[in-house]
Amino acid sequence: MPNDSIIETRALSKRYGCKLALDRLDLAIPRGRVHAIVGANGAGKSTLFRILLGFMPPSAGEARILGKDSQQLTPQDRARIGFVNEEHTLPGWMRVSQVVAMQRHQYGRWNQQVFDGVIGHYHVLPEQKVGQLSRGERAGFNLALALAQKPELLVLDEPTLGLDVVAKRAFLESLLYSNAADDCTVIYCSHQMEEIERVADNLIILERGQLRHMSAPEEFTARVSHWVADVPFKGPDPRTVPGLLEVQRLDGLHHYLVLDQDHAFEQFLRASGARTVQSMPVSLDRAVNAFLAKHHAAPAAA
Amino acid sequence: MARTSPLMIQVATGDPRPIGRQIVDAVRMKIATGELTHGNQLPSVRGLAQQLMINPNTVAKAYAELTTEGWLESRQGTGLFVAAPRQRLSDAERDRRLDDAVGRFVNDVIPLGFAADEVQARVADAFELLVPRKTA
Repeated sequence: MPNDSIIETRALSKRYGCKLALDRLDLAIPRGRVHAIVGANGAGKSTLFRILLGFMPPSAGEARILGKDSQQLTPQDRARIGFVNEEHTLPGWMRVSQVVAMQRHQYGRWNQQVFDGVIGHYHVLPEQKVGQLSRGERAGFNLALALAQKPELLVLDEPTLGLDVVAKRAFLESLLYSNAADDCTVIYCSHQMEEIERVADNLIILERGQLRHMSAPEEFTARVSHWVADVPFKGPDPRTVPGLLEVQRLDGLHHYLVLDQDHAFEQFLRASGARTVQSMPVSLDRAVNAFLAKHHAAPAAA
Repeated sequence: MARTSPLMIQVATGDPRPIGRQIVDAVRMKIATGELTHGNQLPSVRGLAQQLMINPNTVAKAYAELTTEGWLESRQGTGLFVAAPRQRLSDAERDRRLDDAVGRFVNDVIPLGFAADEVQARVADAFELLVPRKTA
C-alpha cells in the first residue's frame, strides 16, 4: 500500500438497517494540502469520519488513516489527528484553563505558542467556563486546541457552520496563515462553496456513499457548462440530452447545465431544432450545485 | 519603507473564473496598462493570500503561471518582480494576429460609412490615449 495517502479506503461500506451510508467507497487522499469534501446531506461524510477516527466499525471493507487500520488506532496515533466538528463539543462545565491543561498533558507535541496565536483572535478568558462561550468562541477555542496539538492530519467537519462573518474570517485566517497548519494535511468538510473556493487545493465529491469526483476545484468547474438555446416547443426529451444535469425553461429559452460536453453539444441542440445556441462557463458553486442536484432526493414529478 | 508595490486587486468567489485565473488576469492587466512597471516587487505569496483571504497555494500557482509566461521574474532570495517587457510572440504570429484584427476592424467599420481618413484619425486618437500610460 503506498505511503503517500493519508487516508485510504477500499470497498468501504457501512449499512444502517437497509440503508447504505457508504457503498464500497474507494478513496485515496494524498498527504499535504487542503482537501474539501462536499456532498449532499446523507452522502456519507460523517459516517466516513466516524469510521476513520475509529468511533465506529465498518460493515465491510477497509479504512486506513495515517497508514494504520482505523479500527486499531492507539492513543499515540490519535494524537497525530486533530478533529473539529460543527458542534464544537467540549465539556461545558470545565474552565478554559482546565481544558488547556488537560490537552497539554495529553499531547506530547503541544505547542503553547500556536495555541496563544490562534486563541488571540477570540475573546476567550482562561477562567471562563466552556459552556459560557459563544458558538464562534467555541469554534476558535476548538481550532486553537486542535492546531496546538500539532497534528499531521486535521479534520474539520462543517467548522464554520453558524458562525458570524467576523468569527468565520478569524477562523479561516487562523487556519490558513498561522504556520501551525503548514505541515498538516487538512480535510475540510463544508457546504459553503465560497469557503471551499478560497481554501481548497483539492475537491472531493461524495454522493450516496461513493466517490464521484476528485480534482482541483477549477478542473471540476471546467467539466460543467451552461448552454442557452432557442428550441421551439418543449425541446428534446431530457432523457436524450447528453450529460444533462439540469434543464430550465426561462422566458421561452432552454437553459441546460451539462457535464463533460464540448462543441458537439451545440450540434445536438441544432439537430433538436435550436435556432440560436450560446454557451458560457459556470462558477464552482453552480457546478457543484447542479452536479449534486441531479441525484438529490425529490418528490416524484407531478 | 516597504519595497513591495501594493497590488490593488480583488477576487470574487462565485465567478466562473477560478480565483487563480482572476489573479493572473488582474496582474497582466496592471502590467499592460503600466500600473505596474518593470522592477516593481510583488507582494509575497502569503501576503497576497492574506490580503485576498485565500489559500496561499492558489497565489503560488498564479505567480508561477505569470513567471512562466514571462510577466514576472524571481530574483534569488528577494522575491518576485515585474519582468522587463519583451515580445512574447514570434514575428510571424504577431503579423498574423495584426492582420486578423485589421480584417475584423475593417469589416465592422465599412458598413458605418465613415471616410477612411476619418476612421484613421479616430484610431490615432485612441492610441494617443493609451500609449502615454504604457510608457509612463
